[in-house]
Amino acid sequence: MTTERFDVRHIDLATADTGTHGGPALSVFWWKDLPLGTRASLQDELPYGIPQLRQLAAEYAAAQLEARSIGLGAPLRATYEGWPKPALSLEGSLEAENLIESLEEFATTSSASAHDMSVVICTRDRGPALADCLHSVAAQRSAPGEVIVVDNSRDGNAKGVCGQFSSVRYIHEPQAGLSRARNAGIRASRLNMIAFTDDDVEVHPGWTAEIARAFADRDVEAITGLVLPARLETAAQRCFQFTMGGFGTTFVPLIFDRRFFEETKPSGAHVWKIGAGANMAFQRSVFERVGMFDERLGAGAAGCSEDSELWYRLLATGGACLYEPRAVVFHHHRSDWPGLKRQIRAYMKGHVAALVAQYDNFGDRGNIVRIGKQLPVYFLKTFVKALFEGPPGRLGILASEVQGWLAGLPFLLRFGWRKQRIATHVAAVDAKGIAK
Amino acid sequence: MNYKLADIELTEPLAPIELSAGQNGLGLIARWQGRLIGFEMVELSDGSVMTIERLKTLADERFAGRILVAKLQEELRQRQPMGEAAALPSLSIAICTKDRAQRLSRLLGSLDRVRAESAFQFVEILVVDNASVDTATRDAVAGFRDVRYVFETKAGLDFARNAALHAARGDIIAYLDDDVVVDRNWLTGLAKACLENPNVGGFTGLVLPYRLDTEAQILFERRGGFGRGFARREFHNARFDNPLHPVGSGVLGAGCNMAFDRALLIKLGGFDEALDTGAPLPGGGDLDIFYRVLRSGRPMIYEPEYAVYHEHRETIPQLRRQYWTWGLGMMAFLVKSYRTDDEMRARHRAMVRWWFFDQLKALARAASRFRGHELRFGIAELWGGIYGLAGEYDRSRARIQAIRERNP
Repeated sequence: MTTERFDVRHIDLATADTGTHGGPALSVFWWKDLPLGTRASLQDELPYGIPQLRQLAAEYAAAQLEARSIGLGAPLRATYEGWPKPALSLEGSLEAENLIESLEEFATTSSASAHDMSVVICTRDRGPALADCLHSVAAQRSAPGEVIVVDNSRDGNAKGVCGQFSSVRYIHEPQAGLSRARNAGIRASRLNMIAFTDDDVEVHPGWTAEIARAFADRDVEAITGLVLPARLETAAQRCFQFTMGGFGTTFVPLIFDRRFFEETKPSGAHVWKIGAGANMAFQRSVFERVGMFDERLGAGAAGCSEDSELWYRLLATGGACLYEPRAVVFHHHRSDWPGLKRQIRAYMKGHVAALVAQYDNFGDRGNIVRIGKQLPVYFLKTFVKALFEGPPGRLGILASEVQGWLAGLPFLLRFGWRKQRIATHVAAVDAKGIAK
Repeated sequence: MNYKLADIELTEPLAPIELSAGQNGLGLIARWQGRLIGFEMVELSDGSVMTIERLKTLADERFAGRILVAKLQEELRQRQPMGEAAALPSLSIAICTKDRAQRLSRLLGSLDRVRAESAFQFVEILVVDNASVDTATRDAVAGFRDVRYVFETKAGLDFARNAALHAARGDIIAYLDDDVVVDRNWLTGLAKACLENPNVGGFTGLVLPYRLDTEAQILFERRGGFGRGFARREFHNARFDNPLHPVGSGVLGAGCNMAFDRALLIKLGGFDEALDTGAPLPGGGDLDIFYRVLRSGRPMIYEPEYAVYHEHRETIPQLRRQYWTWGLGMMAFLVKSYRTDDEMRARHRAMVRWWFFDQLKALARAASRFRGHELRFGIAELWGGIYGLAGEYDRSRARIQAIRERNP
């Protein structure tokens, strides 16, 4: 972890422009509108030379073709760690021709209409950030059918910001809790696709079009997308992105289905690998089938993981979720250490709460194994590694993780809390009533 | 243990590979249109056959993706030809050898085959005879056309390497150890790397096993050997993903196959003669020179098409000794760098810490899995490291001073 500030630089490999020079950077590589990968480099390693760009382009493009080209074994299913399980054959790769042409095809911008899509943004006391987010939503190539802002602040302070955008529907949900706010958004929405993003996010101009295309092309009930860092100016932001892996760094589309669920079940199905709440979308039917967000979870309640707990229910009941990195959003990571630590603590606490909820819902012992064995082992290994190898600051973050885990353990004993799980299904019935 | 080594071309139909009696495994070198794209080791039962089905499964998993990458590289090259350097530099190939006439002949033979179709305008081959005890080395060289012979009286690999540096005339100097044989694309690969990357400090290349006839050779290759993969890599003065870089310069490659900008090496003062002295300190010289080239601000390139086959140590005791010298050479290099490169001291200290932590981790792993050989190799390397840290560089300095005085 260096102390220098990093730029986030976007390089289009189709034109092989080496990008602007400058200090250290996280380079995000694209082929036109298709995101290919990221690579962090110090000033000494920059600028990238043409042979290096060509090699990166070849490696990234090969990964895209394997994941998107039917002739080469696509679509790929997620395997154990949420990695792609390649299905390429020698024959397929020997016969493949005009590869750049195929790549160009996958990189064409989506022109799918988003008129049947509600975009739901939940916000709490973040006026300026919300304004940026709404600007990015207003600039979509395919305008969504409706944009709903659910204001989760006590005094409804986002109303002013929303007033600046003519097409935004404003809903005030004074009872704190991200899940509650998300559910209010679902109830208020009138369309068949519901896409969620957060108030600390700016979405790519093609975001809604890509989600609409993915729903049209693939038979899935849920979609997640790529979350890239908007900025890496502070040490806290770099720590979150580089040390903690940000919101995932996979650039190929993956199917998370029953098989992924079964493979990872022994250690509490690894549903958090599916994506992030800052970039997810559902068919309305999902909420009718498995219920809405669990209001005991999520920011403002247990901490987080309200998104992954819903995916858990989706997969456990035979559904599938598609991760489609063409749907891109840019997330503003927490810029201060205390904020980052609070966030990490909330993540871990929420994670434990979600594991308890998942165990209660479906009875998979893997959830308990993860709380009692897997996580402590991970803490121990991380501790030893951080002690000897760093990076500096990792130990502090680990402390927050352990605190979060400890704060999450009491959920196991809160029997009253654990009995409330029926609420999700009641919510589902509500949603049905509205939908009709 | 004895593995058959097979070299297959994937554009041709797969054929079963039969092992003879006594062979219980396969080292598979895979090419696509002649280009090296993968190497895999497969354990099989004694004298059995690697069937087409098994080959196909292996190729699907390990080689198919690399073919795709190679094809894309070709397409991208055609799409946007880059402003490559107009002309190739001149090249000197330097082989330092001592009392190994037979291996030297083998290497010179393999060089003869690639030399004919070289893109280089000027190629010279230089054999530095490092104080061999008899004339066998001189006689071996006499059997080949256009090979220059230089005798270096001061025994020690880096004495010989420096002698080559000053006797050579090429812009680029490519060093080969006498226990390697070059791949048929070795020179083409080096030419490609030179054209693509003008102004770099040097090149390292792929090192594959020459044979896998003994347990020691197989074990060495299984533990990583000298292999650094089949993708081009760039090395600079610093690396985002490794805060200790360039101190751990072993990732660049190995001294048995490396090339440099000759003028740069002369400017840097050549190789450190206190390293790579043969017994008792037969290592560290390559680490040191890679490190100094990177520290001078010039990048180095790892080019997989610039490939050689290395004959690994034959017996387990020899191999154990090699690991011992790895630890020894690593620490001698670190002690020396710590003294001469103040700016990087924190990294050298961290490297020593990390190295011991890493070795102990490997030992614990080997012990917990009851792997006797692994454990003994690990102990040898660790002990070499401790011994190296305890003043080996100074002992070596004293030894070479004596050698210099004996051979003024």
